[in-house]
Amino acid sequence: MEHLSPARCGAARRPWLPRLLIAFMACGACMARAQDATPYVPARDDVVLQRVPPRTDPRVRQFDTLRAAVAAKPGDVAVAVALAHAYIDYGRSTGDARYLGRAMAVIEPFMRTATPPVPVALAHATILQSRHAFNEARAELEAVLRRDPDSAQGWLTLASVAMVQGDYAAANHACVQLANAAGGFMGQVCSASLRSLDGHAPQAYALLTMIEDPGPRAPPDIRAWIEGLMADTAARMGKPDVADGHFRSALRWAPGDNFLLADYGEFLLDQGRAAEALTLVAGDTQSDTSFLVRVRAEAMLGLPAAAIDTATMDARFADMARRGDHLFLREQADFLLHIHHDAAAALALAELNWKTQRAPKDARVFLEAALAAGQPRAAAPVIAFVAASGMSDPTIDPLVAKVKAQP
Amino acid sequence: MCAVATLLALAMATSVSAHKESDAYLTLRTDPTDTHRMRGQWDIALRDLDYAIGIDGNHDGNITWGELKARREAVERYALGHLAVQGDGLVCTLEPTGQAVDEHTDGTYAVILFDAVCDKNIPSRLTVTYTLMYDIDPYHRGIVTLHAGTRTAGAALGPSRPSASLDMREPDRWGEFTSFLVDGIWHIWSGIDHILFLLSLLFPAVLLRTDGWVPVERFWTACLDVVKIVTAFSVSHSITLSLAVLGFVHVPSRLVESGIALSVLVAALNNIVPLVHRRAWLVAFAFGLVHGLGFASALTGLQLPPGAMAASLGGFSVGVEIGQEAIVLAFLPIAFALRKTRFYRRGLLRWGSWTIAAIALGWFIERAFDITLPWFSVLMPN
Repeated sequence: MEHLSPARCGAARRPWLPRLLIAFMACGACMARAQDATPYVPARDDVVLQRVPPRTDPRVRQFDTLRAAVAAKPGDVAVAVALAHAYIDYGRSTGDARYLGRAMAVIEPFMRTATPPVPVALAHATILQSRHAFNEARAELEAVLRRDPDSAQGWLTLASVAMVQGDYAAANHACVQLANAAGGFMGQVCSASLRSLDGHAPQAYALLTMIEDPGPRAPPDIRAWIEGLMADTAARMGKPDVADGHFRSALRWAPGDNFLLADYGEFLLDQGRAAEALTLVAGDTQSDTSFLVRVRAEAMLGLPAAAIDTATMDARFADMARRGDHLFLREQADFLLHIHHDAAAALALAELNWKTQRAPKDARVFLEAALAAGQPRAAAPVIAFVAASGMSDPTIDPLVAKVKAQP
Repeated sequence: MCAVATLLALAMATSVSAHKESDAYLTLRTDPTDTHRMRGQWDIALRDLDYAIGIDGNHDGNITWGELKARREAVERYALGHLAVQGDGLVCTLEPTGQAVDEHTDGTYAVILFDAVCDKNIPSRLTVTYTLMYDIDPYHRGIVTLHAGTRTAGAALGPSRPSASLDMREPDRWGEFTSFLVDGIWHIWSGIDHILFLLSLLFPAVLLRTDGWVPVERFWTACLDVVKIVTAFSVSHSITLSLAVLGFVHVPSRLVESGIALSVLVAALNNIVPLVHRRAWLVAFAFGLVHGLGFASALTGLQLPPGAMAASLGGFSVGVEIGQEAIVLAFLPIAFALRKTRFYRRGLLRWGSWTIAAIALGWFIERAFDITLPWFSVLMPN
């Protein structure tokens, strides 16, 4: 619950329905303030300004323990890497990118040496990957794997980076190496992910079914992850009801997981279930990916809140641009196309995004923008990629056909 | 289970970091009503401050206004300690003036209101060096906006680029010259050690030492003596002032300040137990070199393009001259008029010099050994 709006925007202890209404109205006021950002002095001392992770959160206590260990042994690689991974994992599940920077600060002293220890370089590659610096992450991983060819984590991370980049040959090689280094289970999940992408979704689904229950000792996050993969794969096979069941089951294993919320939310929007999408992400307004789902759902439902939330999202993108970051190119292209109906601007971003990211969602927004802008030829790189890779997805195939049908 | 833990990496494959990374927003603007001050506002996310120095005092996960107020001093010390504002290379002091909060798109921010008090009138070039949170979050960025009248400059500062500058105005050589000239005058008038040194050298100028002190007969005799002393002092301190400001000479300030104290002591004692009289200008010249290094401390770090440098340094030197000439012009006629009196010879020359020597000795001990003499510092500013 770290990412609720400040209490002065919502009103956390009221009953549900008035709470929703108040949230709609009050957050409008908040956001109007956000744009001109006028400093003010709160009226009372007990006004809650900001939620932060409380000490009662076991993960926060784990940070404290690890921080103390790092302070006690400043040069110890293992302790530092453990703290860095604790931050990375927390940032992942909450979507709070600040934790990537905190993780980076922990390993930075070790990164200054000519050849950083392998666990440090792996943590660094994971941070780069999370910040969408895929080329840099890949270079780092390839260097690490030359030094330590048995690093399962190295091969796994390389496989996922290669999949995002659309380099399925490299991903396949990494999956094979992973199976050698870590055993069949890992290799199977890796291969299934890849098969789901390169046009063999039924095969991928069958593979995943075999390992759907990894046993009682497996952490809930693993189960949530496999269920999420099955959901994506089922959707790719054109079986939305099956996909829906897997999404729900994934969220039972990892409630509030930021990635799953956005993924499921986008799925619901595709299914025309905007009201459900809105309910799904209602508690996660601070996350940009969840907020994008919320804005699109509101627009589809014709809710009056859509206008004010669109302005808020514009402001969030503007803030990201001010820092010089462009980590959200695909999301921004999506937003420009479906909310602002600015196909030309969306196409420009989708084109830029395609240079680094080639997942099905990246292909889709590129095709949609090219068609909407009346420039189907601009999407030629996607057509070529789909033909070469065998990528197949009910959200993409009709668009590919449409582009091909254009003169 | 290590292999399983590493599995999680894949789950992130197509995921995004769903929040903006850490930013803070820093704005500095000139104040048309006060040419020495820049008005500053610095918005820092409460989440970041909580991580850096702890704001949520009771660790309940809710940062309240009361908790933030209780940590005001710590917040200001932490933040302002990681910011340097310089006008033409001269450090501006940062003075907190208020505390508030602010809403940004990713949460509530603490607002630090502060003034950057620059020694000079509005400098021609303002430089901001930003190092907040570099050690705990290298992806933190300081979004800096500088406003000077209608001019604006902006930058996102981070570890790879910690500084940004804004040219505040068109070159105005005459303005630079006069503003530094005023600074020079004030510098010598407010520098009591420089004044006491000069007075110690000037006291005997209206007298001649034979067996005892004998008043000079003609005004011009005294005047010539004074001109020699003042000229020698001016020439020598101008030399070291220029060398130090241009960066050719660097002497630790403790040595310089002790040297100045010593010069006052020697000059005063010379009036009581005369060693040098005819050639007081030589003493002025020798110690003037040390005083020049002291004047330069007011301009430490001054960085200007050559033309502006010449105007500023020239203005400051001329200002110092004007300041000291004013003291001399006020002193000489009075001294000449009083030279035959017992008050001048016993009271001023003898006991005045003793007093100055005692003060200078106090300064010397304090500055050379870096200690504070309790009874002394109450009586005399350092």
